[in-house]
Order: sequence, then structure tokens, then C-alpha cells
Amino acid sequence: MTFDSIIIGGGLAGLTCALTLAKAGQRTALVTAGQSTLHFHSGSIDLLGYDEQGRTVLHPLDAIPALGASHPYHKVADVGALAEEAAGLLASAGLPMDGTAARNHFRLTPMGVGKPTWLTLQGLVQSTEEQTLPWREVTFANIRGFLDIPTEFLVDNIRRMGTDVEVKHFTTPELEQARRSPSEMRATNVAKVLADETSLRRVVEAIDALGADGEVVLLPAVLGMADARTESSLRQLVERPVRFVATMPPSVPGVRLQSRLRQTYQQLGGMFCASDTVTGGCFEAGRLRYVTIGNMPDERLYADHFVLATGSFQSRGLMSNYHGVFEPVFGLDVDAAGDRRAWTAEYVYDAQPYMRFGVRTDERLLTCRGGARIDNLYAAGSVLSGHDALKLADGSGVDMLTALQVAHNILEK
Amino acid sequence: MADETQIESKSAFNFEQCLKCSICTVYCPVSAVEPDYPGPKQSGPDNERYRLKGMEFFNESLKLCLNCKRCEVACPHDVKVGDIIQAARIRYSTHTPGLRDRMLANTDFVGTLAHNFAPLTNFALRLAPVKAVLHGVMGIDRHRTFPAYSFHTFEQWYRRHEAEQQRFGRFVTYFHGCYANYNYPQLAKDLVKIMNACGYGVHLLEKEKCCGVALIANGLSKQARRQGEVNMASMRKAVAKGEPVLTTSSTCTFTMRDEYSHLLGIDNGDVRDSLTLATRWLYRMVEDGQLKLAFRRDFKMKTAYHSACHMERLGWIPYSTGLLKMIPGLELVMLESQCCGIAGTYGFKKENYERSQKIGSGVFRQIEEVAPDCVSTDCETCKWQIEMSTGCGVKNPISIVAEALDVEETRRMNA
Repeated sequence: MTFDSIIIGGGLAGLTCALTLAKAGQRTALVTAGQSTLHFHSGSIDLLGYDEQGRTVLHPLDAIPALGASHPYHKVADVGALAEEAAGLLASAGLPMDGTAARNHFRLTPMGVGKPTWLTLQGLVQSTEEQTLPWREVTFANIRGFLDIPTEFLVDNIRRMGTDVEVKHFTTPELEQARRSPSEMRATNVAKVLADETSLRRVVEAIDALGADGEVVLLPAVLGMADARTESSLRQLVERPVRFVATMPPSVPGVRLQSRLRQTYQQLGGMFCASDTVTGGCFEAGRLRYVTIGNMPDERLYADHFVLATGSFQSRGLMSNYHGVFEPVFGLDVDAAGDRRAWTAEYVYDAQPYMRFGVRTDERLLTCRGGARIDNLYAAGSVLSGHDALKLADGSGVDMLTALQVAHNILEK
Repeated sequence: MADETQIESKSAFNFEQCLKCSICTVYCPVSAVEPDYPGPKQSGPDNERYRLKGMEFFNESLKLCLNCKRCEVACPHDVKVGDIIQAARIRYSTHTPGLRDRMLANTDFVGTLAHNFAPLTNFALRLAPVKAVLHGVMGIDRHRTFPAYSFHTFEQWYRRHEAEQQRFGRFVTYFHGCYANYNYPQLAKDLVKIMNACGYGVHLLEKEKCCGVALIANGLSKQARRQGEVNMASMRKAVAKGEPVLTTSSTCTFTMRDEYSHLLGIDNGDVRDSLTLATRWLYRMVEDGQLKLAFRRDFKMKTAYHSACHMERLGWIPYSTGLLKMIPGLELVMLESQCCGIAGTYGFKKENYERSQKIGSGVFRQIEEVAPDCVSTDCETCKWQIEMSTGCGVKNPISIVAEALDVEETRRMNA
């Protein structure tokens, strides 16, 4: 099989890159080993939330030039332009977002903490201020038996921001039926139960019957894994204004991001290998000629360009053993401490050195192996070295912007 | 030494690699509609830890699993969630299959009986009183109609045409499976038509038995193992002659390639690479330039491709759809990959009927929206389910290729 580009990894970076290349008319294939960490996503895309001293960033575009020299953003030619392109790509995939790269707003975590962010799926709670919410009093309408929001934490923290919270619980016959399986009262399961119109109408009636006093009703984000339709029809039907609170993972907004991007890519004719792994590659004269994959033995997948977007340790894009940190697909060169004791900091909440480990790339995001550059194998997203996504709150921004930059580098070639 | 330690810590079906991320549950078609099913994470890796302590932790609710393997397709850490569940059923279940389950499971025995009296069988199986008895006494849901049995099996047809097949210089071996043999010989004839046009004669296995997928699902794994060994012995002979073993059913293929070794302990390593779907074989031969296919200019069709669960697990959807895309007059729409709910014999059981239809509702709705001339899929039980639930006809990609094929031109190009 022959393609213009093959993308390895089906998370935010891989899908962004594949979608951009497919839109440009390229014949593409995406190979992903199962589902991605988008399933743990908040529904907000961060560009840069904190600077390297840990201070909240209000204007990310102004703060990015001051980031350390190793930061992947320095390999993005025009951060502002690509940020706009990223927002446009999400909107065109049916994922309308609020927010601008010029000024961060604040999302609300399931624990009730405000975090700086760039784009937030419409309908989720957001605030222009870190320490306050835009309401004096809210009603948190929780589903009876729901497991994926730690209500006490959420309520305590919202009260600390100066907003009063009234907690109400509701249920419907469909939700009670689902509750027979106590371990499965999770966000994505509830989303499936409430996917049809009758179930949704009963939820609307139950919420209206609560007699909520708050200016808005906050609901766990449990509607619409496939698209935003159920969410928006609920918002139209409920008497009070409604906002959604991100839940613990797997998160419904995250699954929606994943499935809308994947579907849009497939509709453009991109080949999508949902559960496959690259088992090897043939390198010749400083280029990757083809890869082989597990489910198609003997098949060679040729391409002009390859993109590694396999993620970090959690996604197995990076691995470690007693000998060291390595990139498992091709054995690419990595930036990582050789001494095992230097991988971690003792106190868990300190900056962990391993968070900055990753694949080494040149200024064009090309990778290398044994010290030699590979002229057509790029890397994008969390597999890249040089920044701590937990401390900087820049993970999904790095995913999208480096993926777009790689797509541009490929298309300009 | 360090490496070895890490290799040794690998567990059966990779279950210790489970991060408890719950992504499998997001994609489980059963837990979406059935609160009595604890979901793949609980039923699989979570409870496996307990089951290793003792069989009292085994729960018969595992029989609600469809074995669709969508949990495995979703798993980012290569945990064989579905295998863990099926292996636990094989190992611990004390449930003895009754007459109904035995009848559903023994597709070739029942097929042999039924086809001999095909007109009578087909007539009777459609009668309301017969359906009522099947529903009430046997537990086969009254909404289901058994797929019609053919009066002549494919094997009988083949014996009459065997001499013609021997005239070719190159050969493939065909594992037709129960469905093409007893219910729909046209599919098998379609494959023969394509192969012959390409200059290949078709051989059958010396001895073919049902692949056993329904036996495994119904708790008859010992019988499945016996049948599997028979199939493997015959396939070895075909492979020794240098012939690939082609199939037209994704589920039979998946069962013989993967479930034989994972669940039944059958060593199929020497055969596995030669055992393949006909669509994959054709696609690869065309791409390698070893075969050419010519299609009729007047052929026009809009088809919606349904990704059968086991086809998704095989990872071969690009082959079947790639082959279909070679047909100039074909418009191909991809349906979102979801389970249709039938899962072989599962949906035939009256206790599962309602659940089965709920699971499939997403697929049915999509088909209604797309309104294709026909649906295409590589699985025969999906075909029954979709035809019954939507009224839309369903064709195997091989049948579509056969219909669109310009036989004369193809023959000329491959001469």
C-alpha cells in the first residue's frame, strides 16, 4: 500500500496532523494502537497555562517567547497563526469552542478548581477569572448514584470562590435502570443511556422539577459522545440556563473530541487502522521507506512522509526499562537522563524530570536515529522532548500546534 | 537479566497491563444497554484477579458478553479483554448447554438436516405456530426467521463442477463455511466466478468442519477443538501444496486464525499466514500486479459498508473496502463502526432479542439515513440482522465484485 503520509498515533496530535494532510488532498493512513488519551481530556485545549516559575499566564502568546530554549513551541513558525488554524480545524469538525489565544480563560476541574486554558467546548463551565465564577449562586444538579464527580470537593471549592452552591439530586426511570449496575454509573455509560430523545426529555422534566434557585444549573458533562446535539437540545429545553462540569475520566467531552476528529478524517477518505501497531520500518539512505503493521502481515506501507505521534509514557510512545528510556517503535534518539535516579523527583508534586523526556527533533521536527537525521520521519505532540505539560499546562496546545507545523512542513516540501 | 525479569512479568492475555482506564467500557455494546452485565473491565481483567484465587468468583453474567472484541480494539495497552472473558467462561462455567443452545451451535449438523428438507424446512420455519413453538419451547425468539436453507448445498454444486476446476493451472483452496454451504451457495459461486475469471481453479478442503465459533459461544469448546483440529489438518495439506486458504466470512476467519490458538489451544501457527479472507488476497494480488480485475462499465451501485466486529478486530477493513473502491461505478459510504447486535447465535435467543435490537439500533438508523442500494459486510450473521431490522439487502463484498466484474475482459487480461 502506498500513501503520501502515514501517521502513527491516533490521539490529538495524530488526528490533527492526519486531518490537515487529508484536507490538503493527501492520501493518508493513520495507525493507532487502540483508543487515545483524549478519553481523559477535560474538553478544554490549553496553550500555555503557567510560566516556568509556576505563575498563571493570562496572555499565552506574550509568554511563549520567554519559554526555555528546548520548548517545542520554538519549532512552530507562527504560534498565533497556527493557534487560529487549530481553532478553525476544531470548529470544522463540529467542535465549536470558546476562547482566544490572546487571553486565557479558566475552566473548572471536577474538583472545582479553576485552571487557565485557551479553548473550551461550548457549554462547559468557564470563567474570565481564576478565583471567581461569574455567578452568585448556582445549583449543582447531580444524578443519583453518579460516580464520576467528587461532589463534596466540587461544592467546597466553588463556595471558596465566593459562589453559593445548592446541591440537588435527580433521577429518571432510565437512570435508575442503569444504576442496577452500581460500578457502571460512570459518565460515558450515562451518556449512552441518555442518548435517545425520550430519556433526554425525562431528564429535562426531572431538572425542571427540582425548583432550582441558582442563576445557572450545573450538570455533570454526561451528554453526547458522538456530537453536541443532545447537549444543546437539553440546554434549549431546560427552563434555567445550564452549564456542564467536566467529570472524572473517561470523559464525555474527550470522547467527543476523539470521535468527531476521527470521523471527519475518515469522511475525507483517510485510512484509519483502529487497533494496530507498527512492528517495524525499513530505513534507506536516511529515509524511512515503509513500515509494517501487526494486523497486516507481509504488507508494506510505503509513504513519502511519516509522522510519529505516539504520545508519552502513558500511551507507550515512550517506554523505559532497567537500561534506559527509549522510543519503542523505531528506537529513535531520545532526550532523557541516563542515570535512573535522575528520572524522578522524590516529592510527587515537584516537577518530575521524566515529564521532559521525549524524542529528539531538529528545528523542522525531524527525528534522528543513532545520531543521523531521518529526512522524512517527523514527530509531533507528547512524544516530543523539552517541556513539562503538567507544570506548564500546555499539553494539548503542543499536540495541536506541533502537529499542524509538521503538516505544513510536509506540504511545503 | 533485567530484560528477562520484565518479560517474565507478562501475564496471560496481557491482563496485568490493564491500567483500569475504562476505555473498553466506553466501547462495550452490551454495557450500554444491559445493567446486569458488569462491563468488560470488571468482567475481564478486574475479576480475573479474583478468579485466580478461586472459581467461586466466577459469575455466569459473563455469558452476556457478545465476544465482539470491541474492548480489545479499543484497549490502548493491548489487553486481550475479550479473550480473558471467554477463557474464563470456558474454564469456570458450570452451565450445561440445553437442546436450544446445542441446536444453534451445531450449524453444520443442523444445516445437513435442514437442507435435505429445504423447501419444507424453510416453509415451516416461517409459520407462526412453528415460531411460537420455537419461541416458547426452544427459546428461539419469534421475531427471528432462520436464514433460508438451500436445497442444494454448495458442496453438492461443487462436486458437479469439480472437473472444470481442475482444468486451471493455478489453484486456491476455499473454506466456504456453513453459511455459504447450506444457506447461501451463491456467495461461494460468486467467489468461484471471480477466481476462474482470474485464471485460478478452486479446490475445497479435503475435510471441512464448521469453524466452531457458535460452539465456543454456547459452551461447547471441546467439540469446537475437535472440529478445529480437523480443519487444521486439512488446511495443512492445502498449504503444503502451496495454495492459500481463502474464506468469505470474517468471523470464521477470525475464529480459525486467532481464537483457535488463544482460546482452544490449537496450534495453528503453520497455517495462520496462509488463511485469509478472499477480499484481502484479491486486493494484495491486484496491488502486487499479479492479477487484474476489469469491471463492467454499466455497473452502478451505492453501498454502505458495515464494519463487522470481528472484521474490525482482524484489522482488515482496508482490504475489503479497498477492493470495493476498485469498482468504478461503485459509491461507497462508510457506516460508523458499531456492533449490529446479532453476535452469531446470541441474538437468536429469546432472552437476548430485545438487547440485541437495542445494540444494533445505531447501525440501523445510519442505514436508514444513508439509504443505499445495499449494505455490504464481510459477516453473514450481520447480514441476517441488518436485513431483518432494516429491510435493506446486504451483500458480501465478494458478491458485489462478482456482480460488477467484466468476466471476459478479466479472463483476457489474466490469460
